[in-house]
Amino acid sequence: MISTPDLIESLVARAAPVRPLRSPLARSMGWLLFAALILALIVLSHGVRPDLGLSLRQPQFVVSNLAALLTGVFAAVAAFMVSIPGRSRNWLLLPVPALVVWMSTVGYGCLTSWVSLRSGELRLGDEAGCFAALVLTGAPLSLSVLLMLRRAAPLNPTPVAISAGLAVAGLTAIALSLFHNHDVSVWILFWSVGTVGLFVALGGLFGSRMLAGAPH
Amino acid sequence: MSSRSREIGPELTLVTETTSAAHPTGGPAAHELDWTIFMARSQRGDRDAYRRLLESVTPYLRSLAARTFQARADVEDAVQDVLLTIHAIRHTYDPSRPFGPWLAAIAHRRIVDCLRRHGRARGRETSIEDEHETFAAPEANLQEQASDGRVLRQAVDELPPGQRDAIRLLKLEGLSLKEAAVASGMSIAALKVATHRGLKNLRKLIGDPKGKT
Repeated sequence: MISTPDLIESLVARAAPVRPLRSPLARSMGWLLFAALILALIVLSHGVRPDLGLSLRQPQFVVSNLAALLTGVFAAVAAFMVSIPGRSRNWLLLPVPALVVWMSTVGYGCLTSWVSLRSGELRLGDEAGCFAALVLTGAPLSLSVLLMLRRAAPLNPTPVAISAGLAVAGLTAIALSLFHNHDVSVWILFWSVGTVGLFVALGGLFGSRMLAGAPH
Repeated sequence: MSSRSREIGPELTLVTETTSAAHPTGGPAAHELDWTIFMARSQRGDRDAYRRLLESVTPYLRSLAARTFQARADVEDAVQDVLLTIHAIRHTYDPSRPFGPWLAAIAHRRIVDCLRRHGRARGRETSIEDEHETFAAPEANLQEQASDGRVLRQAVDELPPGQRDAIRLLKLEGLSLKEAAVASGMSIAALKVATHRGLKNLRKLIGDPKGKT
């Protein structure tokens, strides 16, 4: 084993100037801008669903999407904050209230439109489009947040990766609600909870490993 | 991870609220302003400041690691791990914020990692210390059996002369059959028979229950 003074000398010899990372808040805002750009591009290329104007007048739709947006924004801030050593881990709790509201509106929607579930027709063709929107939004967002977080080389990657997954999930859910009409409650539940579950699980399973591979 | 990190001992006290007045003896908080300045300079490539920073955090890191590890080598291992991490992620330090919490979080994390690594290593390895200088077989550690050699020689002496010579030459002195035949004047076949009978008799004389030679 090399002696500690020798190690210090070798580190000093390799001490090239480094550019300090921007503040986590600025970095999360940068990523959110990128996410907004992706959403705008998809809207431009695919157009929004025809009844979006009508949906925007439904309080439940507005509250649910607002909560999803806040979940995404706060989870992104939390992920970037906690990726820096020495920042409080309480940041991880930031997206929780919005997440609770979001999931409750989804659950509430399910309860109130239970009748429409039975009478509604399930068109499976639409779900393929939904899946495309999910991949188109989720993939670039996941990749970009992963790359940005890798630069911070978080010491404890799992909570960071799970937060990042939640951020991607919130924003992807908004993308889905812009393009696809989920009046059938079980599909709302499936897509909202499924999206959260999917990205949080992806973050927990793979994100932490990919972040842990960052240089130490 | 939080439950794990709680295992390694008292929480680090290096926080911004702690003033240097609270540590008149020059504890870590007393150095914190220096460290913050050194680190900010190091990020700009000032090697002198970097050397002073690393040299001055080392005793603090050592005292942290010593709370968890007893062996000196383990402590140094953890300290070096923290130093390497500081080097690798020094760009994540924000010079406008205090250095203490940043350093403490890295130290904390790396010490826990070292602890885990040691835990895993302990599951697979047995370290050999001075007092362990012996053999793995339990019989080897029994003092009484040190006299086995004497017992064996006595038993060999009690054998009939032909068998005694054969055993001595072939088994105790380790000669080949040909060399033993020349030395004893017996034929190779006779030597083989004598050895076989001699070993059988020895087993009886020594009374080895397993019948091993």
